[in-house]
Amino acid sequence: MFTEELKAFRRLGFRHVLLQVLNFASVIASGLMIWKGLGIVTNSESPIVVVLSGSMEPAFYRGDLLFLTNPSSEQYKTGDITVYKIPGAEIPIVHRVMETHDVPKSIDIRKYTKSKSKSKPQPGEDSKQDNQLLLTKGDNNYVDDIELYQGLEWLEKKHIVGKVRGFLPYVGYVTIAMNDFPQLKYALLGGLGLLALIQRE
Amino acid sequence: MARTKQAAAGSSNANSSSVNGSQKARSPSPDPSDRPLGPLAVTVPAYDREVVKVNNANLTELKNACDDAVKRFLSRPELFKQIYTHTDVRLGLGWLSVFVAAGTAFYGYKIDFEQSKPVVTVGLILYIILTVLSTLYAYFVEGDTIFVGKRKTFSKRIITERITLSSSTPPTPKVSSCPSYSVSLHYVRSTNGGKTLLGRGRTKGAAPYNKFFDANGVMDQPAFEKWVGGLVETAMDGKAA
Repeated sequence: MFTEELKAFRRLGFRHVLLQVLNFASVIASGLMIWKGLGIVTNSESPIVVVLSGSMEPAFYRGDLLFLTNPSSEQYKTGDITVYKIPGAEIPIVHRVMETHDVPKSIDIRKYTKSKSKSKPQPGEDSKQDNQLLLTKGDNNYVDDIELYQGLEWLEKKHIVGKVRGFLPYVGYVTIAMNDFPQLKYALLGGLGLLALIQRE
Repeated sequence: MARTKQAAAGSSNANSSSVNGSQKARSPSPDPSDRPLGPLAVTVPAYDREVVKVNNANLTELKNACDDAVKRFLSRPELFKQIYTHTDVRLGLGWLSVFVAAGTAFYGYKIDFEQSKPVVTVGLILYIILTVLSTLYAYFVEGDTIFVGKRKTFSKRIITERITLSSSTPPTPKVSSCPSYSVSLHYVRSTNGGKTLLGRGRTKGAAPYNKFFDANGVMDQPAFEKWVGGLVETAMDGKAA
């Protein structure tokens, strides 16, 4: 099946092979850069996430794709749907904000967080902007998220990945399928690579 | 061989007027007696041609097959040596942008988001600049060029020739007629390290694809080479076609 292509490569020379591989590599590179660019523009570490659990039904179902932004001047309000990540937990969680307390710049927020971690004070990090203490709860859950906070009493702004601005239903199932069946991921990547290597502009 | 002798005999009196480049108001026709070997004159003994078979319905494949045939034809020994400047610039810029992208992505993966933001932004901007540069270069500087070749021959003095070919498939006016392959050549012959211009020629030619490809998509390479060779020799003789 590949003899035709291999013969063509040998005929066309080394530079041609480099060009074809460049085709493939630049597709991947542009994908990466678009992702990183989106992250920078939205100021969010992961601007597009997939809903994995049913804790926000009937608003969001498992498999929905969510679009997030995290502007640095944003003060979150009760009712906002946010995605947050607890340090030490791998998976971000999407729940609604129940309570907020604004902490002005002059006050050291660590007085109120009683966090079990003995992290050293980071100079200048929390004192630049107004910080907030947040409590969240999933719409479909009976209790709030204290159990999920792994020892923290409140969420701080630095834990928030972003606020949900929009969503697409069902599209996230592709990502879920690729995570549950890694073979699918490799097959897709392999197929894409083959196509890019063989196709000529 | 017969062709060059004939040309030399017929225009030996044109010799004196066309050698001095300084008094020329328009492009001089190259001196025939000086003319190095044209591609049709160089017959490489029946080398192993690989059968070229393409998908007849795919215009890109047809054009690429013709372009590759031109490159092979003109790069034979005794003929032009291909200059890879355009390809190298594209490769260089492209691979540089890939490495910048990979480095930025890797850095963003390893370092926390907040701390990595400035470096990632710089990497992103660099990537965008490189990609834009590469695209602009390919569009404006390279354009339709498919082959740039150079040759140095020594007859009475060292003659340097430079040939540039560009090809395209112009849109066909009628739906029923076959699309054609249009090629345009620019040929310059000079000596004295490029300071004295001996001759210059510009040729254009177009032929429908069905002249070189049969119903199965197999390429008739001798016919194609004969056609291209004729165009190159016309350019070498300095006649604007």
